[in-house]
Amino acid sequence: MSHDCECGDAKDQIYQYLDAELDEETAASVRGHIEDCNGCHDYFDFERRLKMVVRRCLTEDMPETLEARVKELIRQETTRSH
Amino acid sequence: MADQANFERDALQFSRQLYSAAMRMARNPSDAEDLVQETFLKAYRAYDTFEEGTNLKAWLYRILTNTYINKYRKDSRRPTETDLGDVEDLYLYRRLGSEDTADASRTTEDRVLDGLVESDIKAAVEELPENFRMPVLLADLEGFSYKEIAEILDIPIGTVMSRLHRGRKAMQKRLWEFASQRGLVPEDAERP
Repeated sequence: MSHDCECGDAKDQIYQYLDAELDEETAASVRGHIEDCNGCHDYFDFERRLKMVVRRCLTEDMPETLEARVKELIRQETTRSH
Repeated sequence: MADQANFERDALQFSRQLYSAAMRMARNPSDAEDLVQETFLKAYRAYDTFEEGTNLKAWLYRILTNTYINKYRKDSRRPTETDLGDVEDLYLYRRLGSEDTADASRTTEDRVLDGLVESDIKAAVEELPENFRMPVLLADLEGFSYKEIAEILDIPIGTVMSRLHRGRKAMQKRLWEFASQRGLVPEDAERP
């Protein structure tokens, strides 16, 4: 397979690779390619870092009182049903 | 069959994660809190139908998602099967010129990844139409597998993959606009 072909295959599979959805053999072949190919390495690295930034930014601090309110709701529900 | 007596111990550990997802669904703290409370209450009432040892986190997310859809979709009347239009692959990376100029663009990539603020990322996700936002949230915020997302949203796995792919591209397009507004990208990269 030519180098360009491998780049195309790797790029097509990037999300499945980063989402850990590829079978072991395919993941190993993608990993092998990005280790050898600077262009794909940079691209994968960018997408991986973006995914981490997205995850971090979407995580919220929960209001401290929320869990207590949920527990209270459950307690009321328990009392009601007994 | 799960025992209601263990509900607090088993289920409440996911409350912070559920709240983060609820915030991106409902888009404001007050509705997000209501959503989380309602989710736990429904889950508690139905806990004897939950099969112990199966995926409790995914089960709770299914309840959260359905609660959100039933409660808010009819209020908002927003289209749920909206088409995103065509966005090319590798959008952000390509726009940064990273494909052509490996060394110089590395710093641009860093500047964009460091310079985008939390509100940009949140807005880019919240602006996605619901049918694309849900898979993106479940995959990128929660790290659910495609199979779990398919079960939570009750759609085929192929649909999960295509919506995730297109949702992420649309999100990148929006992030590019934010990066551009914030002056994070070189001027010559701004031409369409």
